[in-house]
Amino acid sequence: MRTMPFGAAAGLGAIIILATAPVWAHHSFSAEFDANKPVRLTGTVTQMEWINPHAWIHIDVKRPDGAVEKWMIEGGTPNTLLRRGFTKYSLLPGTVIVVDGYQAKDGSLKANGRDLTFPDGRKLFLGSSGTGAPKDGRDPTERKP
Amino acid sequence: MSHRFLVFAGVAALASLAAAPVAAQTATTAAKAAPKRGGTPPRTLWGEPDLQGVWDFATITPLERPRELAGKEILTEKEAAEFERETLERRNPDRRDGGAAADVGRAYNQFWWDYGTKVVGTNRTSLIVDPPDGRVPPLTPEAKERADARAQVLRRPPAGPEDRNLWERCILGGNTGPPMVSGPYNNVVQLFQTPGYVVILNEMINDARIVPLDGRPHLPPSIRQWRGDSRGRWEGDTLVVDTTNFRDETNFRGARATLHVVERFTRVDARTLLYEFTVDDPMTWTRPWSAAMPMRKAEGPMFEYACHEGNYGMVNILSGARAEEKAAEEAARKESK
Repeated sequence: MRTMPFGAAAGLGAIIILATAPVWAHHSFSAEFDANKPVRLTGTVTQMEWINPHAWIHIDVKRPDGAVEKWMIEGGTPNTLLRRGFTKYSLLPGTVIVVDGYQAKDGSLKANGRDLTFPDGRKLFLGSSGTGAPKDGRDPTERKP
Repeated sequence: MSHRFLVFAGVAALASLAAAPVAAQTATTAAKAAPKRGGTPPRTLWGEPDLQGVWDFATITPLERPRELAGKEILTEKEAAEFERETLERRNPDRRDGGAAADVGRAYNQFWWDYGTKVVGTNRTSLIVDPPDGRVPPLTPEAKERADARAQVLRRPPAGPEDRNLWERCILGGNTGPPMVSGPYNNVVQLFQTPGYVVILNEMINDARIVPLDGRPHLPPSIRQWRGDSRGRWEGDTLVVDTTNFRDETNFRGARATLHVVERFTRVDARTLLYEFTVDDPMTWTRPWSAAMPMRKAEGPMFEYACHEGNYGMVNILSGARAEEKAAEEAARKESK
C-alpha cells in the first residue's frame, strides 16, 4: 500500500472535522429565530404550505388551559421533498406532529421546525434522495435511476 | 414542465468587444480534473454537440481544498469513502450537539437538504484546479476592506432587505453563479439549445441565462446585470460561455462588477457533462483561478422555485431585528432609571 502523506485513513476523519465549512442555507436562521427561545410543541396539522423558498406547516397547539394556539413552522424547500417522492398529500390536516425548534425573534407564534417527528419519534419525512442522477450506489438511500 | 417562470431579459447588442479570455489552467491540472473523454457527443438536428437535459451538480467536494489536506490533491478510494462519511456526519443537520446557536444554524432535519453525498469522480480534494494549492487566491487589500465592511453590515440588525444577501432577497441563487458551485439544495441546471442560442436555467431562484452564440459583442459597459452578460461560442465540442457586465452587488465571493467569468461545458459521455470555469477580477483577487466539476445527467424534472412570493423569512428577519432593537431600548431605559 502506498504511504499517505498525511497519515492513515482513520486520521483523515479527525482532520476533516477541523476543516469545517458551515452548512449554508437560503438565509441566516439566527437572524430569524431566537436561540434563547427553544420550543417543543405537539400539535395537529391544519395546513402545509408547499411554497418556496421555505415550506410552512400550520399546527394547532392546545395549551394546558384548553386554549388553542395557531403556530406556523418553517421548513426547507419543498423541492427536495418532491424529489424524495413526497407530495402534498404526504402530510394531511389532522396529523399530530411534534415540533422541536426555536421561536421567532419577534415573539410571534412561529418557529423553525428544527426537528420534526411523529409522537412516536419517527422522522416526519423519510425517503430516498437525489435527482435521479446516477451515483455510485454506495448510498443505500439513493433512488435507482 | 411549465416555463411560465422563465423571464427572457431583453438583450441590446452594442459596442464593447468580448474581453480576452483569462489565463488558461495548466495542462496538467486540466488533465487531472477531467474525467476520461470518449466517443463523439450526440448532435442536435443542426449539428452542434447536444448538451440538453437536466444536469445535477451536487457534490460534497469543497470548492477549496481544506487546509488540513494541503499538498493532497487526490484521495484514494478508501480516503474518499472516509471523507464522505466524515463530511456527512459533520454536516448532518439531525444532530443536536454543539449548543443552541449551532442548533439554530443547522435549521432543519436532513430530509430538507440535498447537498449530495459523494465527492467528484476524480476524487479531487477541491473543485479548484488552479492555483495548484486548490485555494481561492489571496484577496487584494481593497477587497479585504470591502469584505470587512460587508461583514460589519451583516453583523448588525438589518435596517432593511438591502442589508441582507441577494439569495435571502430571492434575487440570485447562492449556487447559480455564474459560475455555478454546488450548494445545499436545488443543485440542478437545465440546458436548452436552439440554432444560435443556449439557455442555462438553474432551479435555484429559476435563474435563466439566454446566451447568444452569434459572435455579437457584450453589452456596453454602462449596462450592468445581476448575472452579468453572457456570450457563447463553440471551441470544438466545448461550449464556452464568456460573462462580463456584472454589478458590484452581485458580489461573487467578494468580486466587483469587474468580474470576468469563462465557463466551459463539455459532454464527456452520455451521462456526464464536464463543467469548468475560470474567474478573474483584478479588483478582488491577486490572480485568476479555475475550477472543474463533472455534472451528472438527471432524470428531472426541474421544479419551480418561486422564491420571492413565498419569502416569509425576510419579513421575519426584519421583524426580528425590530424586536431586538426594541428590547435593547427597553433594557437601556431600565438601566438609566
